[in-house]
Amino acid sequence: MSEPILETRGVSKAFGGLVAVNKVDMAIEPGRITAIIGPNGAGKTTLFNLVTGVYAVTEGEIHFRGKPLRKSPPHKRAKMGIVRTFQNVQLFGNMTAMENVMTGQHPRSSYGFLEAALRLPKSWREEEDIKLRAMKYLNIVGLGQYARHNALSLPLGQQKLLAIARALATEPQLLLLDEPGAGLNTLEKRELSDLIKRIQEMSITVLLVEHDMPLVMGLAEWVIVLDSGSKIAEGTAAQVQKDQKVIAAYLGEETD
Amino acid sequence: MLKRFRPKWQHGATAVLLTLLVCLPFDWFLPQYTTLMIFIGLSTMVTVGLCLLMGYTGQVSLGQAAFYGTGAYISAALTKTCGFNPWLAMLLAAAGTGAFAFLIGYPIFRLKGNYLAMATLGLGLILYVLFRQLGPGGPSGTGDIDILSIGSFGFDTPFRRYFLVWGFCLVILVISQNIVNSRTGRALRAIHGSEAAAESLGINVSQFKVKIFVLSAIYASLAGSLFVHHLRFVSPQSFDFIASVKLVVMAVIGGLASVWGAIFGAGTTRLLSDEILLRFGEWDVVIYGLVLMLVMILMPDGLFVWLKGVFENLRTRLRQGKVET
Repeated sequence: MSEPILETRGVSKAFGGLVAVNKVDMAIEPGRITAIIGPNGAGKTTLFNLVTGVYAVTEGEIHFRGKPLRKSPPHKRAKMGIVRTFQNVQLFGNMTAMENVMTGQHPRSSYGFLEAALRLPKSWREEEDIKLRAMKYLNIVGLGQYARHNALSLPLGQQKLLAIARALATEPQLLLLDEPGAGLNTLEKRELSDLIKRIQEMSITVLLVEHDMPLVMGLAEWVIVLDSGSKIAEGTAAQVQKDQKVIAAYLGEETD
Repeated sequence: MLKRFRPKWQHGATAVLLTLLVCLPFDWFLPQYTTLMIFIGLSTMVTVGLCLLMGYTGQVSLGQAAFYGTGAYISAALTKTCGFNPWLAMLLAAAGTGAFAFLIGYPIFRLKGNYLAMATLGLGLILYVLFRQLGPGGPSGTGDIDILSIGSFGFDTPFRRYFLVWGFCLVILVISQNIVNSRTGRALRAIHGSEAAAESLGINVSQFKVKIFVLSAIYASLAGSLFVHHLRFVSPQSFDFIASVKLVVMAVIGGLASVWGAIFGAGTTRLLSDEILLRFGEWDVVIYGLVLMLVMILMPDGLFVWLKGVFENLRTRLRQGKVET
């Protein structure tokens, strides 16, 4: 196995007395689509928030490409190449679809206040690149013709695609998708699945949290199962499906 | 090349407005409004900063008049008491006000929404008290402040100061419009849209908030300096809580997320307060409140955007009419 792109070592997060994530070790192999599954309240989203830096870990370490992340804030991690989408989409409603994706180019451009205020050559040169690349990412998710529409005027399925395009525009190495399939119909889910495979071909490592089992089983090459904050199993989709602990966690049986 | 596909009528409208602006103070046009327009220009400068802060970035400030005041008071104190050159004083005032905004920016922007509004309100009140207690002349203020001049050319008439103020104002408007349509502007709007998403895309949210706060403070400070060298007098009353509220009213009427709307907001509010509301005495505050409510309900995007909508509607109707006949 090659060096993991992301590794958590004994990572825990406690909110007061509640341990949301409990000593989780995981290693995400580069280029592979990994899914984190688990019943409601298993700590999946909390784990995402720890990896992206929204929360600080209570205990343990997170390593990205061999280096510890320590306390770097989310915006720094985004620059390093860890970018996420949100369960509740979080598009910028005060912008068009195109502008949303252009905003995603923020960490890959550099001109600032002064260049913008005086419209120095650097600003319009970069701005041209930003537009071209934003259009490219809009086309990748198939929303090219909606560039000028307000982001929130799109139906939910397209909003979710737009959020992915916006995240792709940051040119990430590790893309975390928080329940990308939630609220989508069967056709949209199939399109989503195809898109995620294409993202993998762009040599981006995908880590997703998902409730929809058929989607996970058809997509993920590696599955990590969380329950009550702890990792209870991991393996290929087929292995995990047969695991007694996993079945128990989902059906609520007593185990010993 | 970067091209903007703006409809042509907007260029036309801008040209007409600019011509009116340039012609206004001449004897053959509307010289009686020169002084009023100087004040509108000054208010516009402060309002633009407030629009960037509130309308684009979504951060409320109920103490913006305080920065207007620090600019005015630093300029007054440096020129009158220390004998500085007014231009140098203006520069130092802007730098000082900016530095002050920077220092309080980081702690104050740990707060959000209503709490931020309360904190900025408190900031405005504190500075107002400082102006009263420590400012030259105390509560009644001080006069005989130098005028601005370039060499032997003094800005000693309202006519000259009109062009000075509006020169500054237009530069600030253009700079602000450029910022809005840029990477920085998108970052600011993203913060307004969703802080969590902005941060997740690599935008340093707290730093951008402080930066735009500093910029708005510098705009206000420049306006404050121009204000004292225009009136040649400064007193704390110009920078009290009501002044801050008036600035918010201007920003809302003009359209919070509209840079050019600031002129309309400042214009309408000043016209109301200086020409009409004088007759109502202390009831003017009630009328501001009513205007604010009506604007929020009837044209939540502000007067400017509303007028633009009406105009575009009319145009399409006229066009359709032409096609039919």
